Parts: sequence; C-alpha cells; structure tokens
Amino acid sequence: MWWVVGVVTVVVLASTYLTWTASRVDRLHARAAAAARALDAHLLRRAAAAAVLAEERAAIELYAAARIALDAPDLATGAPDGAGREAAENDLTRQLRAISLGPDAEALVAASRRLAVARQVYTDLVRDALSVRRRPTVRLLRMTRRHPEPEYFDIDDPILAPVSVTPVSPLS
Amino acid sequence: MRVGIVCPYSLDVPGGVQNHVMDLAEALITLGHEVSVLAPADEDAPLPPYVVAAGRSVPLPYNGSVARISFGPVSTARVRRWLARGDFDVVHVHEPFTLSLSMLAVLSAERPVVATFHTAMTRSRAMVAAQGLLQLVLERITARIAVSALARKVQVEHVGGGAVEIPNGVAVAKFAAAAPLPGWPGEGGAVGFLGRFTEPRKGFVLLRAAFAELAAARPGLRLLVAGPGERDELLDGLPAGLHDRVTYLGKVSEEDKARMLHSVDVYVAPNTGGESFGMILTEAMAAGTAIVASDLDAFRRVLDGGRAGALFPVGDVAALQTRVGELLDDPERRSGLAEAARQVVTEFDWPMVAERVLEVYETAIEATVGRVIDEEPV
Repeated sequence: MWWVVGVVTVVVLASTYLTWTASRVDRLHARAAAAARALDAHLLRRAAAAAVLAEERAAIELYAAARIALDAPDLATGAPDGAGREAAENDLTRQLRAISLGPDAEALVAASRRLAVARQVYTDLVRDALSVRRRPTVRLLRMTRRHPEPEYFDIDDPILAPVSVTPVSPLS
Repeated sequence: MRVGIVCPYSLDVPGGVQNHVMDLAEALITLGHEVSVLAPADEDAPLPPYVVAAGRSVPLPYNGSVARISFGPVSTARVRRWLARGDFDVVHVHEPFTLSLSMLAVLSAERPVVATFHTAMTRSRAMVAAQGLLQLVLERITARIAVSALARKVQVEHVGGGAVEIPNGVAVAKFAAAAPLPGWPGEGGAVGFLGRFTEPRKGFVLLRAAFAELAAARPGLRLLVAGPGERDELLDGLPAGLHDRVTYLGKVSEEDKARMLHSVDVYVAPNTGGESFGMILTEAMAAGTAIVASDLDAFRRVLDGGRAGALFPVGDVAALQTRVGELLDDPERRSGLAEAARQVVTEFDWPMVAERVLEVYETAIEATVGRVIDEEPV
C-alpha cells in the first residue's frame, strides 16, 4: 500500500517539475522574441532619425548609411543575414560619431540612448534563454524544439555624447 | 504610468537605498506618474501618502552590516495583495538579491520587473550556495539598473549579464536651499569633511595632515567634520593646540548634511580608492561648495574633468594642502568652481535621473509586449 503512495508522490513531483520547466522555457523564449521585436523597432527609429537629419544637412554618406540600415533584413524574423544587419548598424554608428551634435540632433541622441538600453535588455534576455536551453532536462526532452535559438545582437555601443566635455587641467 | 516600487529596508531607519527610493518616487510623482512604494515599516509609523507599510521588519546581519527586512509567509501575502491592488505597468525592485520584500515581489510579479542594484557586493559563499534561487530571481527581472560603474562591473563578473548604468540622483533643490550652521564658515575660513574618517580609503589622514600645516599658518581656519566615529580617533595625531579648531558633528541627518556643506568654504574628498560614485560630491556641488577631491576616475568624471572642482593626485598631502590653500585665498575662484559645479550637477538632479529610469521602464514594457510604446513628442 505505502509503495503506491510513494510512486504516486514521485510521479506527481516529477510531472510538476517538468511542466514548470517547460513553461519556464516557453516564457524565456517568448520574452527574448518580444525583446527582439522591440530592439528592431528601436534600430529603425534611430535609422529614421539619422535619415531625417542627413536630409536636413544634405549629408550624403550619412543618408546612405541610414538607408542601408533601414533596408536591412528584419531582426525578429530570424533572417540568416543577422551579421549583415550588425555591420549596417555599426556603419551607421560610425557615421553618427563623426557628425557634430547640434540642437537639431536631439531626437537622434535620444533615439541612440533608447537603442542602447533596448540592446542591453535584449542581451540579458537572450542570455537567460540560452542558459535555460543548456539545462540537461531541457536538452534531454527537447523542450526547445518549438523555439529557434535566440542570438546576441552584437553591435558597438550606439550612445552618442550629447555635450562635448572640455578638458581642463586640474591645476591653474 | 503606474509604477510599483519595492524598498527592501525599513523606512524607519535612514539609509542610502531608502533615500534613493523616496527621492525617485517623489520625482516620478512630480513628472505625473502614479507611484506606490512598498516598504517594511510599522503600521502606525508616520509615512508619506505614497508608501504602503508591509509590517514590521526583523534585524538580520547581511553583507557586513545589519539590515532590517521582512521575509516569510505573511510578507509574501502582503506583497501579493499589494501587486494585485496596484495593477502596475511596471514593478521596480531595489536590491533583489537580499532576502526581502524585493525578492518576494520579483518572484510574485506578473508584470515587467526592473531591478536596481546599489551595492557593489562581492561574491559570497552564501551567494554561491543560493545560485539556483538567484538564477530564478534573475530570470524574472526584465531590465537591470546599476547605480555606478563599479556596481555594474560586479553584475557583469559575478551574476552574469550587464545592467544599464544610471547614476544616483541628488535632490539639488534641497541641498541648494539649506542655510549654514550658526557662526559658520566664519572669518578665518572653514574646511569640511563628511564620512567614516576611521576608514583608511576615505583618506581622512591626508586631510588631517594638510589641515595641521594649513591651520598653523592661518590662525582662524577651522575644520568641520561629520560622520560616524569617536572624537578621540578624529583628533589622533593632531597637535593639542589645534583641537579646539576642529568641530565634530557626529552622524548627521540629511538636513544637517546640507547645512554642514553650506557651512564650509572648501569641501575636501581625499579618498584613496574604492569609491564607486562619489555621492557626497554631487551633494556638495548642489550646495554650491567649492570642492577639492582626489584625482580618482569616478571623481574626475563627476567633476567634469576638474572643471567643477579642483583635483589633486591621489594620496599627495602636499598637493592637497596647496590646492586647499589656494582656494581659501581666492574667493573668486571658489565661486567660479561653485558656478561650474551647479551647471554640471543638473545632470544628476532627480528629475533628470528619473527621466532616464522611465526610459528603462519603457524598455522593460516594450521587451515584454514586443513593440515600441509611442511617447508624446517632447
């Protein structure tokens, strides 16, 4: 009699753990995917702000870089050309570093700052998803088969300095 | 936006995290957001209207000091009720790795969670043992904030994952409006220091040596010190003739801190290292006091490369003495530095800092719903 109770308890505990782990896997992947869509939107916003500024200033190279970033494949659809998108965004960042940040660039500076936060959050959420993928139970039962493996989005820090700091010698 | 903020430590006791939470909540309310703060406190304690008391806290030794916290089934029920009633867009917890309301809130919240890490804690044996639990807590946090580069570095190295760095805010208006203590700074000039003077890395020994030299040449010069410690230790090694030129206030409240900063001509931060941010510098800047500080990375950054305060090489008593002497002799240079400091410190003013925290809230919500919230054009 007691062994029946024992077996039932073990089965119940094991199935609870497995259900909980499966929902954890789903939750972390859903969040990483949502964060990818948000990151994508922020990338587009920055590129759009850069394109507007480039048009106002008639800066041809900046405009070209912004167009290429805007036309780059969507991040969320998991296109195989992820590296191409990263390169395009890095090119845009390099172009932006070279321009002077006047009052007309305020929207662009804000968009770049928001992009930096979005990327930081995305990176953390991808790390969480990848760490749960490595768990033995998850691998053994192939709980991730419905979820593509999330990838880091590896670009240079897009933050633009809003004010130039004037170096002053500590003496004087 | 509806924001729920969780403070792990009791509001009955003053502390850095508590001040941070209250200032942030007030700044967010001023910006037009709905804020509710959950914190351990006695039900009958006088609290601001936006605070919800989560009951009494118990003292528990943690990370080298005693923290008053709440944890257990009763607290869990209260956290859940607060979350259900609040219907928050985002839940912002502070120090989620302490066994506290913060951790309970992270584990119970169904809305996006933002967490702020204050202390630059080192990896302890307890943390390693609880790695599994911490991983569960971490997984439920959507966006993380670190208040200093050092706190962020600890995040990256010990917990895995980064954090958005947003400096501690300072209530500029409060510090700017304070009045000096009666009779200060006085004719002969006054120099100030605030902090644990017994801790070697605070560098008080350097200031004491410099003050002994300066005071010998300037008959009216006085030293004003505040911070926890014993007066005997403070005066240790100072010539007996100078003892009555040192005034010791003991541990001071936030209001007295502001008054103390207004009471001196020059504030000195002689730290020799380990300072993650330099909160006291932003407070002195807000108070409009001229600053002489060690040339540490963090200090140089806060002081805008020396524009908002004079820097001296770390540990160099002679340079410190020269720098302080120059400033005491030159009121115009002092007001010039104070003016520059007032401009620089606006970057650390709470409304500015709260705007950046709001951006993190928005990002956390966006990362949950998968699209960008449209904000009103500024």
